[in-house]
Amino acid sequence: MARIEVNHLKYRYPHTENLALNGVSFQIEPGEFIGIIGKNGSGKSTLCQAFTGLIPNFYRGAYGGNVKIGEINVRDVEVDELCQKVGIVFQNPFNQVTGSKLTVYDEIAFGLENLGLTRKEMIRRIDDALEQLDITKFRDRNPFDLSGGQMQRMAIASIIAMNPEIIILDEPTSQLDPQGSEEVFKAVQRLSQKGITIIMVEHKMEKIAAYSDRVMLLDEGKMIDFDTPQKIFSRDDLLEHGVLPPAFTRIGRGLGRKNAATGEYPVTLNEAKEALEGMAV
Amino acid sequence: MKKKSYNSPWSLQFNTAALVLIPAAVGINYLGKLFAGVLKLPLWMDSIGTCLAACLAGPVVGAICGAINNIIYGLTMSPISMVYAFSQAGIGIVVGLMAYYGRMNKIGGAVATGILAGLAAVSISTPLNIAFWGGTTGNLWGDAVYALSLAKDLPVWLASLLDEIVVDLPDKIVTVIIVMGMYRGMPKSLQSLYQSNGKIESLD
Amino acid sequence: MKSISLYEEKNSTLNHLDSGCKMLYMVAAILVPALIGNKWANVAVIVLSIFLLTISKVLRKTIPVLSVSGIVILTIVIIQGMFRAGNTTVVLQLGPAAFYKEGLLYSLGIALNVFNILLAICVLIFTTKPSDMVENFIEKGFSPRLGYVFISIFQIIPQMMETMNTITDAQRSRGMETEGSLLVRIKAFLPLISPVVMSSLVDTKERAIALEVRGFNAKTKKTFLNERKVTTTDKIINLLLIAAVLASVAWRVKLWLG
Repeated sequence: MARIEVNHLKYRYPHTENLALNGVSFQIEPGEFIGIIGKNGSGKSTLCQAFTGLIPNFYRGAYGGNVKIGEINVRDVEVDELCQKVGIVFQNPFNQVTGSKLTVYDEIAFGLENLGLTRKEMIRRIDDALEQLDITKFRDRNPFDLSGGQMQRMAIASIIAMNPEIIILDEPTSQLDPQGSEEVFKAVQRLSQKGITIIMVEHKMEKIAAYSDRVMLLDEGKMIDFDTPQKIFSRDDLLEHGVLPPAFTRIGRGLGRKNAATGEYPVTLNEAKEALEGMAV
Repeated sequence: MKKKSYNSPWSLQFNTAALVLIPAAVGINYLGKLFAGVLKLPLWMDSIGTCLAACLAGPVVGAICGAINNIIYGLTMSPISMVYAFSQAGIGIVVGLMAYYGRMNKIGGAVATGILAGLAAVSISTPLNIAFWGGTTGNLWGDAVYALSLAKDLPVWLASLLDEIVVDLPDKIVTVIIVMGMYRGMPKSLQSLYQSNGKIESLD
Repeated sequence: MKSISLYEEKNSTLNHLDSGCKMLYMVAAILVPALIGNKWANVAVIVLSIFLLTISKVLRKTIPVLSVSGIVILTIVIIQGMFRAGNTTVVLQLGPAAFYKEGLLYSLGIALNVFNILLAICVLIFTTKPSDMVENFIEKGFSPRLGYVFISIFQIIPQMMETMNTITDAQRSRGMETEGSLLVRIKAFLPLISPVVMSSLVDTKERAIALEVRGFNAKTKKTFLNERKVTTTDKIINLLLIAAVLASVAWRVKLWLG
């Protein structure tokens, strides 16, 4: 499995003045679940696309430093070579439908056909992906006739079928209703349990806190911090960076209740419960 | 310096964004035609997408848009319009070239582009009209001109040419002016998306 | 979702025929009468196409297609019948309008030719799934990238029409006038079309990315999930069609030589 290594990554979009990423460095171990947070325009999406080689190969612009996926330097390979290692899912499920297939089953086959897989292998992988995302029952539907949540799960299935080691999710639920979001989060959690590295940008901080092994805080193209959710959400300057911590953390902070052992505020329901126990009289 | 970020106008290499632009452009053509129908405008308005794509991604993509557009019309509405794929392709090439040489930024340039595009359409369509329909266009005003010309003993090719000019020229001029307005108002980032050979600068 | 494709699955004999076969039929049906150069050849092929459309249960669908061209043909009959150079024999006098035999015969030739071409195309597109045709071309070496463009149009246009309906409703509820003088209607055109144009252009970026991350530009040879079956029947029909074209070429050459 591939380790991700980012060194002094800098990037500027064409026809813009400011750096979207300004000297970011970190490592991600295989199988980790990483949450990326920060306000709008902090460089989250740019960073996501830098993992897949879309930055700089699709957008062009100005680039410095490097991103390594295992032994591969992202800058040196084409997007279609990297897509078998790193998959990406975007916010708008609608625009991720290729528009060239009439059924969900065929839609998932799109990427596999491009890679030139045998029919037998395609069928095996598609059946497996449908199963994992729990959309087997929609296999003969027209992709555009699905609900947002179903469509987004199809988008994830299409990526999963290509067998990537790393999956990037860029605000995968921001255009979905609560039920659709929940379906997507459950699916992502299952993938994580299978050992796939997950990198997720998300505004729902409760979800980030609950699932992430580590959380990265970005602001104005710079990495402010990269640590456990407890450490990140216990920071005093979060609001200055445009991030509202999870409700449980705010409750803990408001009541001044930290975890006794670590000295950090709670980030999930369970941790909040623990921290608050003994308070009730 | 500005030219450097652009393809050669005749490059056959186009990126995925330029390719995805083609179905969008055909869709825009389709909608233009529909809206013109809804509003009962006396113009076709069915080449806005082709002209926009030509401005954004160059004459080759423009020509492909035009050709595919009519092939799709042929497959979905009236098969005979497939023949006019050549005229639409001609419009795409003219507008693409004019935009490449920077003529689609001012109203004067747009009018000139519209006239040239119209003339390209006329000179390709007229022989097709003569071959398939004996010279008429199926448009009321145009065919009235045709009948009048024949009654005045003008040769068929000239009558057909006049017919086609009446039908195509005003439409293309209006279309190109509308397209210029949209093109000028577009963000730079969108314009550069369809140009494939932009250099990646180094920040190291 | 509403489809713009004229194809309809009717489980007919022609539905099951290979797409290549039907494409060849279209070419042969247009070429053979053109090569023979006789009106009766046109009539014969028209009858054959009507027969094929009937057994495929799609004959009724040809009516709207034919009527679009029917109007154009009517104007041709009128204009050529009255004004064609070389008109000498009057066959019909309607008040001041005189119709001539030469012009009418000429327009009959055009009508037969147009109807033949239309029906031949109808045989193909009413009975063949567009994506089957494109995949067939790709297998024969047509660019898969352009193939994608063709197939996706059939899905993208209905999508955009839905967007359009939303916008038209929204603009109407804001009190925009879609009726009235020409100037009023021209003014209404821009606010209707501009939002769709902009949103569909912005969408191209995300769609292009979505395609790229699914190996759209991969250099490996593409494979297909759905198998294309060419049966013996298909092969025999193909041979017969090619033979018909070759025979009419021979006929034409013979006419030239002597």
